[in-house]
Parts: sequence; structure tokens; C-alpha cells
Amino acid sequence: MVELLQNLIDGLGRGSIYALLALGVAVVFGVMHLLNFAHGELITVSGYAAYWALNDGWSWYLTVPLIVVVAVLTSLVIERVAFSRVRGADQFTLLLTSFGVHFVVFAIFLLYVSASVKTFPRPGWVTNTYAVGSLRIEVFDTVVIVVTLLTLAGTTWVLQRTTFGLSLRAAAADFDTARLMGIRSDSVIRGAFALSGLLAGIASVFWLMRAGSTVPSAGIDPMLKGVLAALIGGLGSLRGAVLGGFALGMAEVLLRSRLPDSVASLTEGVVFLLIALLFIFRPQGLVAVDHAERV
Amino acid sequence: MFPDLRRDVFVPVAAGLVLFGLFVGAGLFYQGALGGQERLVTFAIIDAILVLGLQVYVGNTGILSFGHIGFGAVAGYAFALMAIDPVEKAKRISDAPFGLTDVHLGPWAGLAVAVAVVLVVGAVVGIGLARSGAESGAVSATVITLALLFVTHEVARNWPDLTGGDRAGLSFKIGGALDSRTPLYLGLLGAILVALLYARSRGGRMAQAAREDDLAARAMGVNPLVQQMVALLISVSVVSVGASLRVYEKGSILPSDFFFNLTLVTLVMLIVGGRRSVTGALLGVAVITAGRELARRMGQDGFELFGLGLDDAPLDWIFRENLKTVFLGVAMLGFMVWRPDGLLDDWDLDRWLHARLRRWRERGAEAPEVPEVVPDLVEGGPGDEAVLVADGVTVSFGGFRALDGAGLEVGRHEVLGVIGPNGAGKTTLLNVVTGLVGSDSGRVALGGADLSGAPSHRIARSGLVRTFQNLRLFGSLTVRENVEVSALVASSTRRHRPPPDVDGLLVAAGLWDVRFRRARELDYGTSRRLELARAAAMSPSFLLLDEPTSGMSDAESEAMVDQVRRMAGLVGAGVVVIDHDLNFITGICDRVTCLDAGQVIATGTPDEVQAHPAVRAAYLGTSGGG
Repeated sequence: MVELLQNLIDGLGRGSIYALLALGVAVVFGVMHLLNFAHGELITVSGYAAYWALNDGWSWYLTVPLIVVVAVLTSLVIERVAFSRVRGADQFTLLLTSFGVHFVVFAIFLLYVSASVKTFPRPGWVTNTYAVGSLRIEVFDTVVIVVTLLTLAGTTWVLQRTTFGLSLRAAAADFDTARLMGIRSDSVIRGAFALSGLLAGIASVFWLMRAGSTVPSAGIDPMLKGVLAALIGGLGSLRGAVLGGFALGMAEVLLRSRLPDSVASLTEGVVFLLIALLFIFRPQGLVAVDHAERV
Repeated sequence: MFPDLRRDVFVPVAAGLVLFGLFVGAGLFYQGALGGQERLVTFAIIDAILVLGLQVYVGNTGILSFGHIGFGAVAGYAFALMAIDPVEKAKRISDAPFGLTDVHLGPWAGLAVAVAVVLVVGAVVGIGLARSGAESGAVSATVITLALLFVTHEVARNWPDLTGGDRAGLSFKIGGALDSRTPLYLGLLGAILVALLYARSRGGRMAQAAREDDLAARAMGVNPLVQQMVALLISVSVVSVGASLRVYEKGSILPSDFFFNLTLVTLVMLIVGGRRSVTGALLGVAVITAGRELARRMGQDGFELFGLGLDDAPLDWIFRENLKTVFLGVAMLGFMVWRPDGLLDDWDLDRWLHARLRRWRERGAEAPEVPEVVPDLVEGGPGDEAVLVADGVTVSFGGFRALDGAGLEVGRHEVLGVIGPNGAGKTTLLNVVTGLVGSDSGRVALGGADLSGAPSHRIARSGLVRTFQNLRLFGSLTVRENVEVSALVASSTRRHRPPPDVDGLLVAAGLWDVRFRRARELDYGTSRRLELARAAAMSPSFLLLDEPTSGMSDAESEAMVDQVRRMAGLVGAGVVVIDHDLNFITGICDRVTCLDAGQVIATGTPDEVQAHPAVRAAYLGTSGGG
């Protein structure tokens, strides 16, 4: 029982970060029908910014806003340079464009920094824990969960209460109609990328605090988590993406702690397999990709 | 298998030999006259086999696959396990499951086993893809292929008893690596011919039609899922040959050999060349191989590579060690943004050769004789006195009842019009009859055969073929190919009917002069005529036309009356036509059915229905019954 509770808390901590990433993927998918394989690059780029700042003597207090700002700017720049040029293109082009962005960013850091791991100091409190009864809870997990919940609450407020949020949800529901209703596609799409970058930036802060290092390929792992969680939740749905993130975090923690070591290292493969099976056996059920066509 | 032997077999084989010669020739020239590395050419040949395999699936079905290198991994390990000497194997995997340590079949049998294993895996994945509703550009299908790549990679890494694990891998000692290039040449030639011939075969053409428009292909009797499966199996066989040769040549296999990097490289090669073209696939391999090598060497030596003593210090920021990775990423991104169809789009050598050949043969000759149109209004084959009946059809979309017990009945050699105000349910009725929309209740039958709930491709094969209100042509196929696809389906599924004459239909529809143009380049009226000709080429028992005159001028829609009658007469089909243009309807129909709010409110001759009080009420909005 205690162990399960412990897993639950660990899973929530891990799942929070995934939920933020997945929500970013889902927001962009909503307005562009783009499954963004380049989402992890926001973490790569902000990771190098953090590396530069921290080794330049910045404190973490200053670095945190830097990371978030860099992630938002990167997201906007990527939209401007690449995705704005393929709006409305077929899935084939969209998917490969995001893949291309991923590889260009990867290659740039390979070329201009180096292939080797760059480390930076982690904040001292990351490994601290405190006890509640017989549970050992990480301070870090607590912070992550609280900040994530606040972020999600803020995002919900923006989506429900602001004109931008309404436009975004309308565009996600039916992009063409939303545009006919006078919603400016340009600003909605840019806004979606900014929001996606903001969420990724917050996730990035936690990701980097825990990792304490970065490499050119650092974006792959968070990208996969975000994309997988968004897929679990059903691509069209924002709420689904958040749930998918928590579910993925939970599943990982449970798999790692319950299964024998040899199988536990297969987690990613298992999750992928489950999603493939989901697509295969419930092609219309859990995935809200809108295929309705007028004939 | 092949509609036209000269066009679909002889010319492609000749073109394939030329392509093979050019590709290998370029490689030999590079390593001979230019003193390039042999290894680079060897691996370019292997890459070409992999990329051609990928092209067969991605090019013809339009589904983006990240999983083909995963199939390659399966093939590579199967090949290695079969072909490596047991003594060598025992050093790495002394205790392999299934007694595989002691198996020793040699490279040729190993290759056969690799292909067989991959075919089994391919069939399973293919069924999964089909169930997920794979169609051109489907995200779910792409995610499933990505899952395959990851799953094979993780299994390979985590099952050291079988694969030698993450670092050790399996290595070869069968008299060393490949000692001559002959197997590579054979593999390449085979891959080129398979890719070209598949693209020109019946199955390939159907897959391409589904790639262009899945729904329209189904409505023409094509089952896209079957064609995608065939494409997948052929494609993974070619990939497994390439993967086995790669393992053989390298002399070892590690999980990372068949993962992201190779997936990226092969995909970039395919899209840069042009994924819909076999020539393009080969061109892409050549361009990317050359580009990467150039980038690598310029990264090392800068301009000195060309013997130029230029001062390249200012360009230090470009000439760096990993320039070739940048090149790959930029190539992918650049092509996707500026030229998503690649260098060649769907230009292929064999099609070009055939077009030249045709023009050369027709040179100086008179314009081709217009094939004579022999209307065949009366005679049909057995079962052709069938009557189409739809009865008590009810359909709800959420809370909205689109059809409420509607139906229609139409006999052979009859033209039935379906009219009604907007939202009356006309198109929905047609969608139910042709299987695109499921009904809550009701019955659709043709002759004695009950077609209720049958999939649309089966309904089309039974003889109900439709056109679409919003044009759905196979855009990047030519006009003639559009018509040919349904003629192909008809030739195997509508045998009891006289085979459709493609050229005759093209002439009759006034499409002869544009028959080699792409369908998407046609103007609106011509596109409508092409939809009609394409449907007629199925030799249908009934043609179902959804607003054939929508968006046409009065003169055009008047001409459409003759057009429809002529096409229907040519193939001996009855007609059901939905339209708003009452002149057109009275001009063409023998009988008219009027729908309102999902129910039939009147049926009879055009004059009777127009005079019917309920019809007047429905159109004018006054209360009826007066």
C-alpha cells in the first residue's frame, strides 16, 4: 500500500512534465493538424541556453525565466521559418517538415557546440526529500506537481475565458469554419505556438533541473514523451493530452518498479506497442482526429 | 496483371535496364576515373535497394512509413542468424533460443529466410495498418510504423541471447564480407524492375488511385486495404533483400545500424528524388550520397577539396566536422518546404520513353481515328434485368434524422431523377445506396442481391457506381489513367458485361484530346465529364450521379443531358441522378422522385411531380395539400 502510494506520487511528478509537453503538442495539432516531432527541440535549445547561462555564473533564479523565454521564442521562430510555409499541406509534408526541423536543430548543435554531453550545476534542493509518514517525497516532485497544476489552471483560464482561448478552441474544433467566422488564422496559429512554447518552457525547466546536462539529441526523449502522451489522450483533445501525460508518467513508474529489470528497460517499446494496438483496435474511439468528409 | 504489355512491361523493363546502367555506370565512373572510394559506391547501391523498397510502399500508397528500417532490422538479424558460422555465433550467443546457435544455412538460404520472416511480420503489421484505417497521409498509420521501428530496436537491444545485444552485436565470418559486387548488382536490378513493374501493374494502379482519393477509389470498386497490403509485402521483401546485403557487406549488425539514422537517410533520399517516381528514388540516392560526401569532405578540407587555395577562414563556421548531418537535415526541411514532391515529382523514365515512342509512331500519321461508338442500349448480360430498390432507409446524424423511411426504385434503361429542397436527404440517400454512409434501418437491393451494409467497393463491383457532387478525381493521374482504373476493376469483377472500351469512352466524353493531361489540370466542365466517363468505365448496371450539372451554365447543362444519355447508353446502364436544375431533370428523366425532410413525397413523371401540391409546398414553403 505504501509502495503503491509512493509510486503514485512519483508517477504524478513524472506525469506532470509529460502533461505539459503533451498539451503543447495537442495545442499545435489542434490549429495545424501537425504532429510536431520537433517539439523536443524547444528543450534542446533552452537546454543550451541554460548551459551557457549557468556556466556564465547566472543563478537558477535568473536561468528559469531565461529558459522559458528561449523556449517561447524558439517555438515562434520555428513556426515562422518552417511551419508557416507548409500550412494546409498534406500530412506527409507536415510530418516530414517537423522531422526536418528536429534534424536541423540537432545538426546545428552538433556542428557548433559538440556531440559530447554538456553539464551544468543542478539546484541543490533537487535531490532533497522529506518524509510524510513512511513516504519519502522529493521536494522536486512537489514543486513540479504544484507548478504544473498552477500552469494547467492558468491555461484552462486562458482557453475558457479569453478571446484567444475561444479562437483556439474553435480552430481546434473546425479550422475552416473558424476562419470563415472571422478568426484570424495567423494570430491563432502563432498564439498556439507561443502557448506550446510556454508550456514546453516550463517543462524544460524541470527537465533540465533533473538532467543537469544537455546534448544535441536531448530533444528526442521529451519529444517522444510529449507525442506519445498526446496520442494516448487522443490527438484532437487538449484535456486528453493532459490525462495522457499523467497516464504515461504513472505507467512508466509502475512498469519500472514492478517489472523485472530486463523488461523494465523496454518501457518505451511497450508504450509504443500499446499505442499501436490502440490505433489498431479502436481506430475511431480514443483518437479524435476528425476524418469526417463531405461527399 | 498488366493492362498493356508494351506500356506496362516491355518499356518499363527497358527503362529499368537503362536506369541500372546509369546508376552503376555513375558509381563506377566515380570510383574509377575520379578515384573515389569503392565503399561509398557499394553502400550507395545498398541504399538504393532499401530506398526502392520504401518507394514501392510510400510512393504508391501515399502513406508515410518510418517503419521500413524496422523491417530491415528484422531481416538483418534473421539473415545474420541463419548465415553466420555456428562456431562464430557460439562466441557471441552461445545460448540462443530455439537452438539457433547451431543453425547454419549459408547466405542464400539465409536471405530466403530473412524475406520469409519479414513477410510474416509484414502481414501482421499490414493487418494492423488496415484496421487502423490507413489511407494516404493517415497519422495513425505513420505512428504505427514508428512504433514498429522502436519496438524492433528495443527488442534487439534487450534480447542479447538472440541479437548479441547493444554493443557486441553479431559479426560475420563466412569467408569475410561480400567478396564481389555481383549479388549487389543483382539485388539492385531486381529492385528497380520490381518497383517499376509494380507501379505499372493492375495492383499498383489501384493503389495509386486510392492514394489520390481513397473514397473515390472505393466508389470505383477498388479495395484500398488489399492494395496497400500487397504494396507493403512487395516493399518489405525488397527492403529485406537490401538489409541482408547491408549486413553481409558490413560483416556485422548492431541495433543502431537499423534505427533512426538509416530511417532518416533513406527517407531523405526518397523525398529529395521524388517519392512517386522510381527514377526519382534512384536520383535521390545519387544526389544525397554525393551531397553527403561532398559535405563531409568540405567540412574537413574546405575549398582545398577543389584544389583552390582560397582563404576559407571566413567560412570556418560552415566547414566543420559534422557538416554532412547538417546537409541531411537541411535537405529534408528544404525540400519539404519548397519542393515537397521532390526533384522529379512523378516523372518516370519508362513513361517518358513510352510517350516518345508513341509520338514517334504517330508521327506524320493522320490524327488517330476516332473509335466508333456503338450504343448498346438493349442487350446486357445475365442478371442485367436487375432493378435497383432502396426501401425504408433511415439515417440519423446525432439527433438529426436525415432520412426517414426514404427509398427509390429504378429499372433498367430508365433515368430516375431525385429532387428536393436543400437538406432533403438526396445525397445521403445516394451515400447509403453506395455504402458510404451506414443506415440505421432499411434495405438496398440490386436484382436479387441484398447490398444493405456492404462495403462501398463491393457495391461498386455489384454494379452501382457513382459520381461525386464535389469532384473527386485522381488528381495526379492522367485523364486516361483515371478512366483506366475503373476499366481495370471492371475487367475482373464485371466479367458478365461487355468489357468497357477505354478509348471509346474517352472519345464519347469528348476527352480524347486531353487524355494525357493530368486530371487536376482540367477545367470544371471537363472534370465533370471525366467523372462521368470514369464511372461509366466500370460497366455499371446503374450510374448514380450526384449533381452532375452543379456550377454549370445553362448551355453546358443542356449538353450534359446528351452526355449522360450517351454514356449510359454506351455501357447499357440505368441512371439515378440528383440535381437542382429542373430543366436538366425534365430533359433527361423518365421518372422523378421528390424528397423532403428525409421522406419521399412524390414519385411520377417529371410533369406529374412538378404539378404535385406537396412538391410545390416543399419548394415554395407554403403549406401543402391545396
